[in-house]
Amino acid sequence: MFVLAAKIFSILFGAIAIAKSYVDFRSRLESVQMFLFWTLTWLSIIIVALFPNLVDLLLSAFGRERAGLGTFFGMAIVFLFFVVYRIYVKIERMEKKLTRTIQELALRDDWTVRK
Amino acid sequence: MSIFVWPNAQIDHSKTGDIIRSLMPSYRPIAVVLPAYNESAAIAQVIFRIPREINGNRVLAIVVDDGSTDGTGDAARAQGAYVVRHLTNLGAGAATITGLRAAQALGADIIVTMDADGQHNPEEIARLVQCLIEGPFDVVIGSRILDPHGMPASRFVANLMLNALTYVVYGKIVSDSQSGFKVFSRTAAEVLDLRSSGYEICSEIVGEIYRKNLCYKSVPIKSIYTDYSQAKGQHFLNGVNLILGLLTRWVRRT
Repeated sequence: MFVLAAKIFSILFGAIAIAKSYVDFRSRLESVQMFLFWTLTWLSIIIVALFPNLVDLLLSAFGRERAGLGTFFGMAIVFLFFVVYRIYVKIERMEKKLTRTIQELALRDDWTVRK
Repeated sequence: MSIFVWPNAQIDHSKTGDIIRSLMPSYRPIAVVLPAYNESAAIAQVIFRIPREINGNRVLAIVVDDGSTDGTGDAARAQGAYVVRHLTNLGAGAATITGLRAAQALGADIIVTMDADGQHNPEEIARLVQCLIEGPFDVVIGSRILDPHGMPASRFVANLMLNALTYVVYGKIVSDSQSGFKVFSRTAAEVLDLRSSGYEICSEIVGEIYRKNLCYKSVPIKSIYTDYSQAKGQHFLNGVNLILGLLTRWVRRT
């Protein structure tokens, strides 16, 4: 029952994310690279949710080394943190640019003329 | 015109104005920068109490309206202040940086920063400016800790803790690192490399004083704690943001 709920949960979120990404892409808010990246990422998540055995196949492909589910999720967490880090860096850069732009605009106004 | 030219000096006519200004100390004004966000209730009274002249120097009030939605800019303009308006709220630090740039653009020789909520007494500006000139110092910091009379105990303790944190982050201890009441010489304002958007700008200024080896003095000031200024001043969440901002800077520096 829990496994089924997890599958539905993953498919639902994956479908929403892909749909939103597609809408943004169509509205030219998202680049084709980002659209493809997120579509492939969420498709992978949906596929793994529907066929969890694929993870075992993947892990066995690593050969003799011991690799369990922990390794798989560890890699997933590292990837997620990388994404969060990139978002953090980009938001901070954008905030700085926005601040500078607003300051420049403020000082370009006719503020020296007292009405 | 010749009386303004040094003997044997090469005359650069494009700079004649600068030469005249440099020989006439009273020509350049003193700018009082007031970063303000939704301060329409207090700003007019604060500007009204700023002295119009100090030692024969004109005093100009510059209000940086940090995206206010309550008509702060209009209230300030009605009192004769210059108003620089941010299109949206950026924070006290960004507003202070804009104000310092505006003051330099107006040719101010001395720049005062103070809170717009009435927490600082504008009548003390003259004393702090005098201290800067007589020092001469690059920066004078108005310190509430040196005259803590009337200061709520919680604020006193919080300020001491923030002094300690400022020391950890920037390696410099001053008596009131979070004071917004400061006086800068033009040169000091020009060399400060400020980037903070929020309240952590006060600590950043302390760090810059240390980094640029500026000469400074802390001078006691009286803070006016009214219900309004207490409600408008730094509250708990601002404090948390300030600490997080300082810790982020500390991590970056290490």
